[in-house]
Amino acid sequence: MTRESIEWSVVGHDVLRLDGPAKVRGVQRYLADKVFPGALHLALARSTHPHAKILRVDTRAAGGVPGVAAVFTGENLLAVHGVRPCYGPAFRDQPILAFGKVRYAGEPIAAVAAENREAAEEAAALIEAEYEELPHVQNPFEAAQHGAPLLHDSLEPAGAFADLMALKGHPGTNICTHYKQRQGDAEKALAEADHVLEDTYTCPPVSHAHLEPHGAAAWFEPGGRLIVHTTSQTPYFVRGDLAAIFGIALADVRVVVPPLGGSYGGKIYDKLEPLTCLMAKVTSRPVQLHLSREEVFYTSSRHGAATKIWTGIKDGKITARKVEVFYDAGAYAEVGPRIAQKTGSTAPGPYKFPNVSVDAFCVYTNKTPSGPLRGFGVPQLAIAYETHMNKAATILEKDPVALRREYVLEEGDLYSTGSPVTSIGLRACLDSVSRVVEKTSENRPAPTLGPGLTQEKHIARGRGIALGFKSVISPTISNAIVELNSDGSAIVRSATVEMGQGATTAFAQIAAEELGLDVNKVHVTTPDTDQSPYDTLTAGSRSTYHMGNAVIGAARQIREKLLETASEALEIPSEEFELREGRVFSRSLPERAIAIPEIFLKRFGAPGTTLTGEGTFQGHAVKADPETGQTPRMTEHWFAGASGAEVEVDTETGFVKVTRLVSSADVGRAINPRHCVEQVQGAAAMTLGFALFESMRIEDGRLVNGSFLEYPLTAFEDMPREFITDIVENPLESGPYGARGVGETGTMALKPAIVNAIHDAVDIWLKDMPVTPEKVLRAMREASGAAPGKEASGAAPDGEGPK
Amino acid sequence: MGVPRFELLEPVTYEEASRLISAHETIPLAGGTAIISMMRQRLFNPSHIVSLHKISGLGGVSPAKSGGLSIGAMATLRSVEIHPAVRSQYPLLSETLSSVANVRVRWSATVGGNLAHGDYRLDPPGALIALGARVRLGSARGERELQLEDFFRGFFETAKEDDEIILGVDLPPTDEEASGHYLKFTSHASADWPCVGVAVYIKENFSGKCESARVVLTAAAQTPLLLEGVDEILSGEAVTEAAAQKVADLTHSQLDSIEDSSGSTWYKREIAPVLVRRALLEAARRKPKARDERRKN
Repeated sequence: MTRESIEWSVVGHDVLRLDGPAKVRGVQRYLADKVFPGALHLALARSTHPHAKILRVDTRAAGGVPGVAAVFTGENLLAVHGVRPCYGPAFRDQPILAFGKVRYAGEPIAAVAAENREAAEEAAALIEAEYEELPHVQNPFEAAQHGAPLLHDSLEPAGAFADLMALKGHPGTNICTHYKQRQGDAEKALAEADHVLEDTYTCPPVSHAHLEPHGAAAWFEPGGRLIVHTTSQTPYFVRGDLAAIFGIALADVRVVVPPLGGSYGGKIYDKLEPLTCLMAKVTSRPVQLHLSREEVFYTSSRHGAATKIWTGIKDGKITARKVEVFYDAGAYAEVGPRIAQKTGSTAPGPYKFPNVSVDAFCVYTNKTPSGPLRGFGVPQLAIAYETHMNKAATILEKDPVALRREYVLEEGDLYSTGSPVTSIGLRACLDSVSRVVEKTSENRPAPTLGPGLTQEKHIARGRGIALGFKSVISPTISNAIVELNSDGSAIVRSATVEMGQGATTAFAQIAAEELGLDVNKVHVTTPDTDQSPYDTLTAGSRSTYHMGNAVIGAARQIREKLLETASEALEIPSEEFELREGRVFSRSLPERAIAIPEIFLKRFGAPGTTLTGEGTFQGHAVKADPETGQTPRMTEHWFAGASGAEVEVDTETGFVKVTRLVSSADVGRAINPRHCVEQVQGAAAMTLGFALFESMRIEDGRLVNGSFLEYPLTAFEDMPREFITDIVENPLESGPYGARGVGETGTMALKPAIVNAIHDAVDIWLKDMPVTPEKVLRAMREASGAAPGKEASGAAPDGEGPK
Repeated sequence: MGVPRFELLEPVTYEEASRLISAHETIPLAGGTAIISMMRQRLFNPSHIVSLHKISGLGGVSPAKSGGLSIGAMATLRSVEIHPAVRSQYPLLSETLSSVANVRVRWSATVGGNLAHGDYRLDPPGALIALGARVRLGSARGERELQLEDFFRGFFETAKEDDEIILGVDLPPTDEEASGHYLKFTSHASADWPCVGVAVYIKENFSGKCESARVVLTAAAQTPLLLEGVDEILSGEAVTEAAAQKVADLTHSQLDSIEDSSGSTWYKREIAPVLVRRALLEAARRKPKARDERRKN
């Protein structure tokens, strides 16, 4: 990126990652590298059935394994006094260990604590359970119908978050949330339309596949304080919930989080912490639990979804948009209700349509609990609304880009929730990707042919684009403390979790900019609830904006104190000062200057003390009307992104090679342009796998590809030959230096861009993700009238949509 | 999870290994890439494991009495892949091995272990069968050998008796005018298991016509499939698109395809002939270059 002029010294520059050297050298210590002296090792026994009554759990053999200190079941849990047995951020629906019944294959039913990991695992393997099988349900659409096997008899709201306070669930059904949005009269407009497009799109659950599995260690101190080290994106939520589960004061729980080896939403809210702490309590010993790779697949996943969409067209205009989305929560709701509410609100797409209707459901099924994954449910919607834009363009005989320009939301528009749209760079992102996709490279390399192809005759090429948008999670709060030392170095205390996104570097840049420091003199602490002030969570691309603003607030308090002392010392009004390179100087007379150490001496009469500032930032939203979704302020701000894809389809095998991928994201102003590009690219590379081949395959209620031997991940060879990232800078007035978050923007529109490109190439519309070669070939055969025979229907489908 | 406790037995002769395997009703350990993974997942819980690592004479690549090449069962895939004799005389095998998993797995996994696993999705059996390999088996009862295509009997089922150990594979002499290609088609990520693999080995006479050809499909059926009737089509003919298509059409009657996560029975049947045709044409196309290279060397 070229920048003509940058008014800042540190912000806006490609500062190298502060956590880079340790990670590149392999000396970064992750949770599993830490030694917890005297800690017992935990291993879990898991359910083999997707839905079953637990008749008996036999732990006798396990208890006899040498080195085993305790074997604990769900029944034992119920007998422990003073421990709340269930947890969850929206509903308290997830048991620390299953009791009464199991709701998914892979659910923990018992825990073993032993002197070493081998003994714990050996004992866990000896635990035998007897079950009475119950009917199970896997398809979220079917699960939402009356009469489906019921997972939860009743739901207890957790009351942990402002936006989830009013949840009640829908007793007697598997629907835990139903979000509604109404504008105009979509049903009437559809009835009166000249054309109605109606389709159902399905996305399967997929794995976060963070390289570092989940881990936790915990112990109770003699005085009763609970100390927890964990791989979590939500140290403060974990602290609060552990305090509630064990009935102790917030101040008596300390949560420490080292940098994470990836997370993407997979380590959010409570995961291993309640169980780890429970075992610390019952054994009165420190305990630690480190999941295997295979167990990660039983801990969290991205929501699968079935998205039904209707588009009404009359007199050359799109007059109606209706969406019904069924998010697959899996066995426990986790934060699915927020996905249905908040992300459901964006289901119509980033457009101005006069008549809109949305029903977004979060539905329990008998599988691994779902959670957010880089995009918070947006990609499951964008696949529907963005392929429908291309379908509508075909009917309206318009260019798909031109049609989007006609309807795209712009500054000042009212969205279908009644909320004004502010600072939304959709058009700029659209322009950016359409420009790059329309333009053919001049020195175009030879085509990348499909497997075994030596000539081009079986290759069809196509291009497609798509838009996506998302609202930032609101309301949330970030607090930061900045301490300036007398030598001009500084510490930023923040509970934002560094999980590879580069947040710590961004905060160091912001503090350095505000205080006129070298960025390498700023240390950003890792979260420790004894040391770092409150932050709601590290998720949803919110940290740069919220915590960034909090860091600015904290640094400016220090800055004022520095200028105040400098003003007294130099007898110059503080408005005339600049603070750069570790000193305060007069703008008009730069030689009138005083360095930070001297300011400390002047102010305190001695070195060694610190100047402290504290910043708070809170995002706002106004609760929507439950029947119409109407609200004057649905979010603090918006994210806009666009993707463009060029594909080569092997017409004999259906193999799709993405040869060029263009991602465009509105980052507000880039605190670190290079990091922004890397975030968008990383998001695109990750989503490429979700588009083309990733799927957690469930057969007979059980996951059948829950290991890296069987679960396919994107490799370098799968990357597009041209991988272009364009950062759009459309400053966000309320953002730190105009910045907004960027971690998810590259994920939103990539799948529909590829599906639209495949349509451009071979004239088929794909609706079930991922778009494997088999689905492409099958659709091509069906389109040409040579539909595959009945025998072919035995193929295991990835999608789980309504029939 | 870690590997459950077991006792490791380390015999120094294969006869002893065979006896120990029978006595403990267990299986031999070679590279461990499959077994250890299965043990971690508790799919296989043996009390004893018989390691073959201390048995001498099971490793390495050496000239065979027949004039071909002898590959020891304990030779790692990577060591065979980069062996100069394999690279120069059996480039098809080198190419095939290079497509297996990743280099770390290939430095651990062995030729014998790969065959003994009997997994229909594995790449090496295709090339080895195409090259006419014979497999040598040994036990306390003695030694025997058989054509590799006869070794695979069914889904994860081989002709190897429980007490037998694979000692090695023998490749017949190579041919100056031969060429080959392994086409690995993955329907998911590039690093995934194949959906269908096709190994092709063509021998031509001096006038550039095909003398004989062997075509093997892997991952498509329960066992590797050596197409029958290829010579009848190609013998004395140039490998043209039309001829290649005729060979490809043999799959319609001979392939009893298997469904797995990479593709349905329908899909594998649809793409098998396409891949056979492409692999044959690619092998034929490569030949002059290979010959030129050999001349240069």
